[in-house]
Amino acid sequence: MSLVSLVKIRKEAEIKKGITDALDLTQYKLPTNIKNIVIKPNLCYYWDYTTGQTTDPKFVAALIDLIRERTTPTVDISIVESDASAMKCKYAFKMLGYEKLAADYKVKLVNLSQDPYETAQVTAGKQSFNLMIPKTIQKADLKINVPKIKYTMENIKLTCALKNIYGCNPYPKKYRYHSRLGEAIVAINKALKFDLHIIDGNIVSGIQPCRLGLVMASVDPVAIDAAAAEIAGINPKTIKYLQLAKNEGLGNTTYIPKGEPINQFKKGYPKKNIKNKLMNNAYTLVIRAGLGKRLGLE
Amino acid sequence: MKTVKLGIIGLGYIGKVHLRHSLKIKNACVLAVADLSKKALNKAKKAGVKKIFTNYEQLLKEREIDAVIIGLPTHLHLQCAKQAAEAKKHIFLEKPIARNIEEAKEILSTAKKNSVRLMIGYPLRFNTAFRNLKKEIENGIVGDVEIAHAAYISTGPFLHRAEAHTPIPVPEWWFKKELTGGGALIDLGSHIINLLRWYFGEITDIKSLLGYRFNLDLEDSATCLAKFEKGTRAVINVGWFSQGYHLKIDLYGSVKTASAQHTPSNPILTAVQMLTTGTSKFYQPHYAELQYFVNCIINDQSPSPSGEDGLKDLETITQAYKNQISLD
Repeated sequence: MSLVSLVKIRKEAEIKKGITDALDLTQYKLPTNIKNIVIKPNLCYYWDYTTGQTTDPKFVAALIDLIRERTTPTVDISIVESDASAMKCKYAFKMLGYEKLAADYKVKLVNLSQDPYETAQVTAGKQSFNLMIPKTIQKADLKINVPKIKYTMENIKLTCALKNIYGCNPYPKKYRYHSRLGEAIVAINKALKFDLHIIDGNIVSGIQPCRLGLVMASVDPVAIDAAAAEIAGINPKTIKYLQLAKNEGLGNTTYIPKGEPINQFKKGYPKKNIKNKLMNNAYTLVIRAGLGKRLGLE
Repeated sequence: MKTVKLGIIGLGYIGKVHLRHSLKIKNACVLAVADLSKKALNKAKKAGVKKIFTNYEQLLKEREIDAVIIGLPTHLHLQCAKQAAEAKKHIFLEKPIARNIEEAKEILSTAKKNSVRLMIGYPLRFNTAFRNLKKEIENGIVGDVEIAHAAYISTGPFLHRAEAHTPIPVPEWWFKKELTGGGALIDLGSHIINLLRWYFGEITDIKSLLGYRFNLDLEDSATCLAKFEKGTRAVINVGWFSQGYHLKIDLYGSVKTASAQHTPSNPILTAVQMLTTGTSKFYQPHYAELQYFVNCIINDQSPSPSGEDGLKDLETITQAYKNQISLD
């Protein structure tokens, strides 16, 4: 079983200590003999961190400080993201505060959709994918994932560590994979194995944004997602892609929690109630029936 | 009674709203639409539009068309409106009238020279709550309005789909000040300034404090202080920064206070309204303004808000941009 740490922070000034404690609880040591590090935050559209939808640049800044303290001050750091159907990195980096972060901390911003890439044939479950593998990620000595915990309207139920790596797919029209999204998420994680996963759970989205003050860390993306699912009130066993990820050798769905008790975060997470679940199901049905526009919902 | 034959130019977000309504308004029919998107054009054809064009100049050559509804990005208003006027088409033009005063004046002079009607799309003027508020002011029910508070806070162009919070792509021109003429102040502020001018007459002085939360070249919020010729002072807050939607006017008069607001319906009510009436309560003012525009053409009347209104609003906004204040 893998270790998953859970740390409570009470204010923004404690973010760096929260990350430090979370890493120490997982007994993870940052390698010192590295040259290139990639950090993948979750940038979703142009919604800033206060919505709980995107990684707070202050969280990434604290992580960069810690990395430089524990490795070398000159280590080369790239923050990576790719264009999506509705989001262009050049605007997201600017609007969400990452351009300023890059200037202040002298790190690179890389739009993976414009990065050189190689292709790789990867299978997950019964599906096969021809994936683009960005060079910046391929050549990195250390890959750190900094996701958010979010519900999603798609049938995968939860967006967290594994799903955030799906955002490294340089192909902007990601809806192309949505009919087999679970398999695509697992395939990309097989191709781009990230070394460390640190969840920015200071503000989480849930059914509404909420300051949860949570920092989680693990080297196992499946385990950290299973713990995140429990916090969000979802039984990890009902998330099919987590089971697939486990079967494909990406990690374990069982874990050993370290640090604060998980229940305190479960209580605080703004979970879906019956009304939300009914509305979501009704909405999904309407959209699938192609009635969204006619009913003014799209 | 005459049927007004309409052409719709631009099938982006607002163009689609206008198309949906134009197909239902009385004494009008949509003869043609023009847009670069073949997908949007095909949908329009399926909805019953006879002719579709990827070039609006071809649409303007259609002799049968009496009037055009222009829902293009702001930087294309001048060229399109001028060509429409020269083709002797009456014009319904989305706000803001143009990117700058020079362009707005050119649109006005071309419309005048060619004797075509020009109306600017300000749907708040057709919203029942805001119309009732005007009646209260005119009938002396509020007394002398000393102070007005107006707020229009929304996502701006950063829209998401109603329930799912699934993001909708933002057209690139929205990010470029040289194409939009400005940010939240010109986009949302033009609605508020037009409405307040309708209530209280001309603005004699205006100052602005602009916000740049999203680090763009254009402002994503603005607070304006305005003084009207009749003495009313107004605080105007507009912003693109919120996932919430708030559009409200509060009036503080010598007799009483009064308010009006525009609120989105819940998704279930919207779905029912869409099925029964073809539009939702939220978009009812958009429907009403098009019906009014068509009636103006049939009755040979000058529409209001007019092109002159659009110019005056833009002059006021330009003054607000020039008179920026800062707070430490």
